[in-house]
Amino acid sequence: MSGHGGPKKTLATRAIQLVSLLVTFGVLYGVTKVAPELETHLGTVAAVGFLLLAGTLMSELLETIGLPHLSGYLLAGIVGGPDVLHLVDHHTVDELSPVNTLALSLIALAGGAELRVDTLRSVARGLAWATLLQSTTVLVCVAGVFVAIAGYLPFTHGMAFKPLLGVALLWGVLAVSRSPSACMGILSQTRAKGPVATFSLAFIMLSDVVVVILLATMMMLARPLINGSGSISIEDFSVLGHEILASIAVGVTLGLGLAIYLRLVGRQLLLVLVAIGFGLSDTFNYIGVDSLLAFLSAGFVVTNLSDQGPKLLESIEQTGSVVFVVFFATAGAHLNIPLLKQMGPVAIALCASRALFTVIAGRISSRVAEDPAILKRWGWSSLVSQAGLALGLSVVIARAFPSFGEGFRSLAIAAVAINEMIGPVLFKFALDRAGETDVHEPEVRASLAPPA
Amino acid sequence: MNAGAFLLALLALAYVGSILVGGRAIRGFGLASGAEYLVLGFVLGPQLLSVISHSLIEGFQAVIMVGVSWLGLVLGVSYLRVGVRKVPVRRVVLGIALSGVVSSAVSATVFALASSFSALPRLEVIAFAATAGIVCSETTRHSVRWIVERYGAKGPLADLAADTSRASALFAAVSLSVVNAWLPGAALPGLSVIERVLVTLGLGIVLGLTATLLLGREFRRDESWGILLGTSLLGTGAAARLNLSPISTTFAMGLTLAIVSRHRLDIKAMVTPTEKPVLLPVVLLAGASVNVKLPAILLVLVAAALAAKILARVLTGSLLSVALPPVRGVGLEFGASMLSSGALGLAVALAFSVRHPGHLSDAVLLLAALGVLLGEGIGPGALRRALSRAGEIKPEEAPPELSPPPSLESRV
Repeated sequence: MSGHGGPKKTLATRAIQLVSLLVTFGVLYGVTKVAPELETHLGTVAAVGFLLLAGTLMSELLETIGLPHLSGYLLAGIVGGPDVLHLVDHHTVDELSPVNTLALSLIALAGGAELRVDTLRSVARGLAWATLLQSTTVLVCVAGVFVAIAGYLPFTHGMAFKPLLGVALLWGVLAVSRSPSACMGILSQTRAKGPVATFSLAFIMLSDVVVVILLATMMMLARPLINGSGSISIEDFSVLGHEILASIAVGVTLGLGLAIYLRLVGRQLLLVLVAIGFGLSDTFNYIGVDSLLAFLSAGFVVTNLSDQGPKLLESIEQTGSVVFVVFFATAGAHLNIPLLKQMGPVAIALCASRALFTVIAGRISSRVAEDPAILKRWGWSSLVSQAGLALGLSVVIARAFPSFGEGFRSLAIAAVAINEMIGPVLFKFALDRAGETDVHEPEVRASLAPPA
Repeated sequence: MNAGAFLLALLALAYVGSILVGGRAIRGFGLASGAEYLVLGFVLGPQLLSVISHSLIEGFQAVIMVGVSWLGLVLGVSYLRVGVRKVPVRRVVLGIALSGVVSSAVSATVFALASSFSALPRLEVIAFAATAGIVCSETTRHSVRWIVERYGAKGPLADLAADTSRASALFAAVSLSVVNAWLPGAALPGLSVIERVLVTLGLGIVLGLTATLLLGREFRRDESWGILLGTSLLGTGAAARLNLSPISTTFAMGLTLAIVSRHRLDIKAMVTPTEKPVLLPVVLLAGASVNVKLPAILLVLVAAALAAKILARVLTGSLLSVALPPVRGVGLEFGASMLSSGALGLAVALAFSVRHPGHLSDAVLLLAALGVLLGEGIGPGALRRALSRAGEIKPEEAPPELSPPPSLESRV
């Protein structure tokens, strides 16, 4: 993702970008018309190029109306995706899943590397209160709203109160989940520095762990409510505890290894990051380690136990400048527009209530923790976004409760789609208003003079 | 080996390649053409150890296509310059002409033999002959650079070798676009072959111009990577979907950037170091894809093509010794040195095998692989002898460790 600062783009530059965007769409549109049958693997190549180019250009153009780059990537994916122009089909979107794996590992690594112990100490009190209040208030209140509007949901028709309460609690967990990728995406673009940026990053990375624990807890509580039988077992917590400890242990080891590599070799970091992202993510999943938490820990170790943090962050930013665009544009292409239309009103109601309770919980926690005024005002702003993590949770829930799982997941996809589009806009707006976005021009390398 | 492990192995190879991008490393390690990785691929491939299976190679088809197309882009971007020195137009024309002569000789030999002694359909004979000619037309610039770097050669003959080897890429790129446009199965059935060629190259030119405009007046590396990768992948994918030649498209795109963009040197400096990291995995995959279990007639045709290539190179070298002062007295050696082939020949063969899988494309790939090995055995040694005889390598030249700093080529 390109930097936020930089010389003001002229009208001519914008016109060139618009023309280039039209050329990009035109090339793939023309090819799709002439050769609609996609070759299994080769179609993916054009799609990646299209998403990368269209996402970059769309983000540049949307910048003129103050929207974050991330919205541009998403919009490029939506417009080119299966439900609008069909330049990228469902099969291709599925084929691009390795890019998601790579992007998420980079996001977690960068997230961890951004968290410095001394900075965390400065927001520790606010962080603790926010975690407590956001987790409880949002979960309980959104679950309440879910119960209230359950009559409009096809998959809860005829459900008794107890099972409905169980489903509502699971929805509450979903509402508590945030989007590390959206947060990192906006911070990477804006290069924001300040209390809101620091708090948001720390809170969202921490919330990943909290949500995993909450999900296990709520599934344990919801199962007897929904099935009418079964008992609460402490065994699940034991397994979860092992998984979290193992993830942190593996992450610390990886972080130490990375720090040593950065110090002793420090070259070809792009290849190393790609190898880590692709290779280790699968390995972590195979051995039952939470890869997000492991990469987060690794980044944290590199920053706090060595002096290699800036080098790691710079490399991730360079790699991410390409990977993140494809990642978010693919997410845009993944959005199910017909489903969004179908579930729209209910999803909007649930999203609005989630946003409302998030703001309220944010205000209360800031007041209790005596946060700085700027944090009281904008601390909640990054918490609206949702993306891959929420979708992942909905898949877990759908698998665990097949009786209503499909409908639940569809509603989750619709709700996440809304939050995915609105959340980043709100966060960037807040960072701009808080005065934390970088206004310095990034380094520009003047062109070499044309040869005589 | 599963796909994940194989991907990691390829990334490790790319890592090795990124270390061997130039300067001291290129003078100290490895062969000029990367033939050792070709052999490694063959040994690990389905023909011998089967560590890399057929299905695994098929699963990496998109990787192969992206890799060879990226090589096309790199060749295009660096086509007109050796380091920062511009290649004179007459040398470009000479390089293209030499490639054309060798290609025609090989194609004619294969066509004559195949028409007389094989039962292959005429269409397949023409396709095979043409592609065999293209594969043999290249002289890899890596071989020239390797000798120049390793022995610190400097002079008009070294320049001529560097210029003509660089210029040979254009012939292969354009010819491949013609063959792909001519072969059955191409999209755009309403268009003639020439029009399809124009679409192939035009797509590259349009995307090259788009990239040029987007790179604008300032040059930011982070943004430039997104633009270059995006346009090249779009071009590769679009050409592949139309069953046209992606290498030709990306080559045209690179050449457009090299001609039009004011950041041509920056772009060249950006993409040149990526060549080796991309090349080594591609060469390994090419080695693994080689199939030697071919009908006897195809093996004979491959041997004949190689013989024709050797003869054509030696003859053209002899002719050049009459016409060009730097080659005077070293015509045979210079001609033999032009036998070195590498990335482009393998890329063409791989692209052909993706587009037309079967015995014919296997034979083309075998020809390309043998051409690399043959070139490795003859080319660098012949060039070293030619340069020594021309007085461009001094016998008392310091050993590699103490030789002069890397040339501009290794930096740009």
